[in-house]
Amino acid sequence: MELLDPVILLQFLIGGLLAGALYALLACGLNLVFGVMRVINVAHAEFMLIGAFIAYVLYKWLGLHPVVALLVTVPAVFLLGVVVQRLLIERVVGRPLLTSLLATYALSIILVNLGLLIFASDYRAVPVMQGSLAFGDIVIPKPRAAAALVSIVITVSVYLFLGRTRLGKAIRAVSEHAQVAQICGIDVVRIRMLTFGLAAAMAAAAGVMLTMIYSFSPESGADFTQKCFAIIIIGGMGNFLGALYGGILLGVVESFVGGFVSTQWAEATAYLLLVLVLLIRPTGLTGIADAR
Amino acid sequence: MSKLKSFWSALVLGLAVQAIAAGAAVAKDIVVGTSVALTGKYARTGQEQLQGFEMWVDEVNARGGLLGRKVKLIHYDDESKPETGAKLYEKLVTDDKVDLLIGPYSSDVTMAASTVAEKHGMPMVSSGASASEIWERGYKNIFGLYTPANTYMDQILEFARSKGLKRVALIYENTAFPIDIGNGVKAAAKRLGMEVVFEEEYGKASTDFSSMIIRMKAKKPDVVVGGSYLPDSTAFMRQAKENRLYVPIFAFAVGPALPDFGKNLGADANGVMGNSQWEPTLRLPGVHEFAAKYKAKYGHEPPYHAGGGYGTGQVLEAAVKKAGSVESDKVRKALLGLDIVTTFGRYKVDATGKQIGKPGYTIQWLDGVREVVLPDDAATHKPVYPFQDWAKR
Repeated sequence: MELLDPVILLQFLIGGLLAGALYALLACGLNLVFGVMRVINVAHAEFMLIGAFIAYVLYKWLGLHPVVALLVTVPAVFLLGVVVQRLLIERVVGRPLLTSLLATYALSIILVNLGLLIFASDYRAVPVMQGSLAFGDIVIPKPRAAAALVSIVITVSVYLFLGRTRLGKAIRAVSEHAQVAQICGIDVVRIRMLTFGLAAAMAAAAGVMLTMIYSFSPESGADFTQKCFAIIIIGGMGNFLGALYGGILLGVVESFVGGFVSTQWAEATAYLLLVLVLLIRPTGLTGIADAR
Repeated sequence: MSKLKSFWSALVLGLAVQAIAAGAAVAKDIVVGTSVALTGKYARTGQEQLQGFEMWVDEVNARGGLLGRKVKLIHYDDESKPETGAKLYEKLVTDDKVDLLIGPYSSDVTMAASTVAEKHGMPMVSSGASASEIWERGYKNIFGLYTPANTYMDQILEFARSKGLKRVALIYENTAFPIDIGNGVKAAAKRLGMEVVFEEEYGKASTDFSSMIIRMKAKKPDVVVGGSYLPDSTAFMRQAKENRLYVPIFAFAVGPALPDFGKNLGADANGVMGNSQWEPTLRLPGVHEFAAKYKAKYGHEPPYHAGGGYGTGQVLEAAVKKAGSVESDKVRKALLGLDIVTTFGRYKVDATGKQIGKPGYTIQWLDGVREVVLPDDAATHKPVYPFQDWAKR
């Protein structure tokens, strides 16, 4: 069978890794928020789309390349995330899970409809850096490679920030045990603002890179939100690295399923993988959700 | 006391006057109902269709209305979902008590919506649907304007065959209209002695075709045909470039017929073929005026979806005039016998209500412009062959 050709197999693997890196960037933010405040942010993908639309507008008006637009978009959405945390999410932290689910769901509906009002439901894209680099028979799509690179740089930076810096350690402390962290003198409200800002910024970065890969509309978020949930459950809820593993695993498996079975089955991969992981390891690959 | 009494009587009187006025307005206006996608996957196309129809409503009212009555349009957003569409038509018929129905956008929403029209015995004039399946259910109340989907790709495949191409790769979304295109492609390929070397369906939400493309590439096709809409056709072309899938002809349904195709793909749209129900350059009555007015109002050339919406209005107008009434039975009979040429093209249906009078057109993106390339008598440009290899762009 021609599909067992090593070149094709390698091509599937590359495609999967590149897609997986972008998934990971998106899912890590979601998991960070869950880890620190036990809030499931249903509006996470909408922050990704905010990033995408800012990049689109900057390209349309100023001709700015999305990679350059990152420098503006990421800090802007970070601030937006901080404000949203202060005004909305902070009020539902520590409440029953349903409360935060409803609050973020409402936020998602508001953001989607705002997007529809401003941008209508047309599909947009930024047609720059299209095509691919070829190495013999192997091709590496340019926009996807750039997106994966940005994903890796940001994800690793955030990981190092969490592990090496005082502030990062404070975030982890709040994630481990908010009350004890507070007793130790950590300003948990501030930490939560920082965390949500960080998560929103990571999502926005993913969104900016997305503009060169897919066409998107204000309603494109739902698909990504669902996949992100699957990823963090697969990888382990609340664990930063779990989302990274989960994202990459999903990207690669999707690519091979799409290659060997069909695109339709690839769409279902996230959920099949989810069932499989839950059967074998109910806490996910690295889960802490039920550990305490 | 008397003051209070007069207040109450004034209020009651006021309400009564309002009720009479409202009642009179309902009796006077001819109310046309539709659902149309304003959000979801078919939003862009749905909106164009609605705008085209609204333009006809404005014009017919400026001309003094239909049968001397004003035409009023009630429309709802079906979110591109068949189940929502069906519910909305139920509401239009039973709640809003509309006089006439026009169809929604897309074949899958029309499949559901026409069932409601059939149940209530109300004729529905449909632009925006072309899957043959809609007319194969024995329904008596659905009348189409679009050239049926199973003939969409015939001109392109004939052209491909004339260039000696034989290996067809066929992909399509798994809903009524794209599946019908797929069936048409398979039949045409067989008739023309071509071979379908790759075939795959994909889901409505699919945006990543990379793995599919790698697999398709291994089959070495010469023609790629997509039974697609806008987001999937743009995603496919972008990923075809990324994965260096090169064939002499790329052809897609719906997507290339829209201005957004060029906006989203930029120079990569160049050379892609597609099919169109209608183009603003065609030599048909009123096309020029309609296109100019539409552009002035909405800022862009009308795509065929807008032309279809406008044409629906003209067909409805002709049928109601012929029937001399908006009674369902009379309008249905008029729609069956009607044979007219509108701004959208000829309208003539067979006994099932399926369109048999209107031809289809083939378009191609050339230097950022959508040109009609086939058939020869409607062409604004010669077809450019072959598609320029990605490596040489």
